[in-house]
Amino acid sequence: MKKIVFYLFTYCSLLVSCSSSDNGNDNDNDNDNTDSSGSSQEWLIPISDVKDGGPGKDGIPSIDNPDFVSAENASFLNNNDLVIGIVKNNEAKAYPHIVMDWHEIVNDEIDGSFFTLNYCPLTGTAFAWESKTKNTKTSFGVSGLLYNANLIMYDRNTDSNWSQLRLECVNGELINDQPVLYDVVETDWETWKTLYPETKVLSTQTGFNRTYGTSPYGDYSVNNNRFIFVPEITNSALPNKDRVYTIIDEEKAKVYQFSDFNNGKAIRDTFNGKDYLIIGNDKLIYGFKLSEDQANLTFEYEFNDSEVFFKDNEGNKWSIFGEAIEGTRIGETLSGAKSVISYWFAIAAFYPNPEIYSEL
Amino acid sequence: MSFKKILLSILSFYTLNLTAQCCSGGVPLSNNLGLSQEDKGTIQIGLNYDYNNLNTLNAGRIKLNEKFRLRTTHSILLNASYALTNNFSAEGLFTWVNQRRIITSQFDGSKNTEASSGIGDAILLLKYRFPNVFSKNSDLTLGFGAKMPLGSSTEVDSGGILLINDLQPGSNAWDFIYWLSTSKRFNFRPSLNTSIRFTYRNTGTDNDYLGNSTYKYGNEFQGFLSFSDQFNILKTLANPSLSFKYRDTKRDQTGGGEVDNTGGNWVFIIPNFSINITPNLAFSTKAELPLYSNVDGTQLTPTYRITTGFLFKIKPKSNVNVLNLN
Repeated sequence: MKKIVFYLFTYCSLLVSCSSSDNGNDNDNDNDNTDSSGSSQEWLIPISDVKDGGPGKDGIPSIDNPDFVSAENASFLNNNDLVIGIVKNNEAKAYPHIVMDWHEIVNDEIDGSFFTLNYCPLTGTAFAWESKTKNTKTSFGVSGLLYNANLIMYDRNTDSNWSQLRLECVNGELINDQPVLYDVVETDWETWKTLYPETKVLSTQTGFNRTYGTSPYGDYSVNNNRFIFVPEITNSALPNKDRVYTIIDEEKAKVYQFSDFNNGKAIRDTFNGKDYLIIGNDKLIYGFKLSEDQANLTFEYEFNDSEVFFKDNEGNKWSIFGEAIEGTRIGETLSGAKSVISYWFAIAAFYPNPEIYSEL
Repeated sequence: MSFKKILLSILSFYTLNLTAQCCSGGVPLSNNLGLSQEDKGTIQIGLNYDYNNLNTLNAGRIKLNEKFRLRTTHSILLNASYALTNNFSAEGLFTWVNQRRIITSQFDGSKNTEASSGIGDAILLLKYRFPNVFSKNSDLTLGFGAKMPLGSSTEVDSGGILLINDLQPGSNAWDFIYWLSTSKRFNFRPSLNTSIRFTYRNTGTDNDYLGNSTYKYGNEFQGFLSFSDQFNILKTLANPSLSFKYRDTKRDQTGGGEVDNTGGNWVFIIPNFSINITPNLAFSTKAELPLYSNVDGTQLTPTYRITTGFLFKIKPKSNVNVLNLN
């Protein structure tokens, strides 16, 4: 009997000693990735509002060697599937949501311009920004952290954390830095391929096995009552998951709804002391900050199944990215507004009490 | 000690698996709840180490060829039971857990680990046995218990960021547990035992999830079919057994809505081998291997699980005397 008690006691002691050597937190990252929250404890945002999304750092793998197919070969897309589109140096690329839902980040380049196309499926927000930090080419990855349900990325040069919708580095060596944005639009596949039939399309050959076409978030994108991570601020002025177009200027935001652009419309508006042109239809909206010279023009929606999306009173015809492709101003570009398509709740969380455009 | 009781003890040693969220690692609540019913006054103490490895990524039933995500749970499980009568017992299970999430970056191969450790949730289970209820050498046991949220659900990483609930030692929710089991021994080979066990866990809700939401793990049903026998190997009593486990969990819920990529159903095979070091001390080791996994959406699913440990019995003095006389 004494022997038994002795063996049991020894075994207990061994296990207890194991447990006491590993209490609280444990981060033992290799290759100098010190922890998921970056190398600094200082955050621009309340740390209590930074959430662990679950998959972990790089648990959602970015696409770092993207593969593209032509529009004709993009049979995996339906006409109403949403894509994020970019055009640089006359080269058009489309990044389908059905792929981005699973990866959120594509590190890519067009004609020597390196950029990171990033998309947050929980806020419905997409940006492209220059893949450069500290004047060095870099790439970005998914940190696994969220702020107000929105993607936080990390850059692979410095491991700093970047809030996507805040458009700012919020933690790490590059804290307070802001990304250099490239213009992107979001629309459905049918509209995009009509605008840019020669477009390349990010393919599903990503190197990862995923059920592309099935959202990893179920009905999240359309269920107004459903949050996976609840933002700190909610605003009932519009349904939570209404897709809206928002112009961001400093801490302020102005929201435009697709219903404002039924059958195609050009809206001239002033926001935060600046002149804007917002052009769109029920599938696509984009805006431009007008210069003094451009502010004298009168614009009109004109989309006739070509790259031309609107025109002006001088007879110039413009692309959705604000490039004059016909007329006396050919080659001139309008300056794309700092803007994004998103779910309403996300804008309301990041830019509290945003102004909502109304004709009245 | 009677042979049958020993066998029953060992067979019941690992019968009830109450992992909170097997599909993602979760809070490991015992591979060894459900100690056998012993004579009045008997105390049983079990001490086990449990390792749960989730490194298989599934989309529904399809296994995706991807291994860069690893969830492990190391647990130390201490359970104790006391037979209040010859048919009624109370059992408690206490845990210490170490949760780890290890991601190997597909970009540069670096590993990122997040972990927490500490005292986990605990279970209190009451069971009543109806002996010879169907026939001779068979019995039926009903049980009811509660999982108590003793474990911390507020652990943060080294940067001060609250870890996801799946990585927390505790769940911050009360669960209720219902248990039904029956076993049968055969006249042609009295050492052969077959048993069936069903458990249902009605999960509670964490009402302070991430500070501004709620979270409820999916309700869970488990069924076990077990066969065991007893042999004398090198003058040591050995008790091999083979169990099949069916597990079904509903989707988790947060903020009133279902959480994608949670829930599913599984079938496991569980080979178990135990030996009696002394009449009152048994050593046991078992593995739990998935035969079938069908998850909701895409999620990590169990790859294997290993449990090993000791069970020690303290008989009341009068019973020990009787045994010694035998």
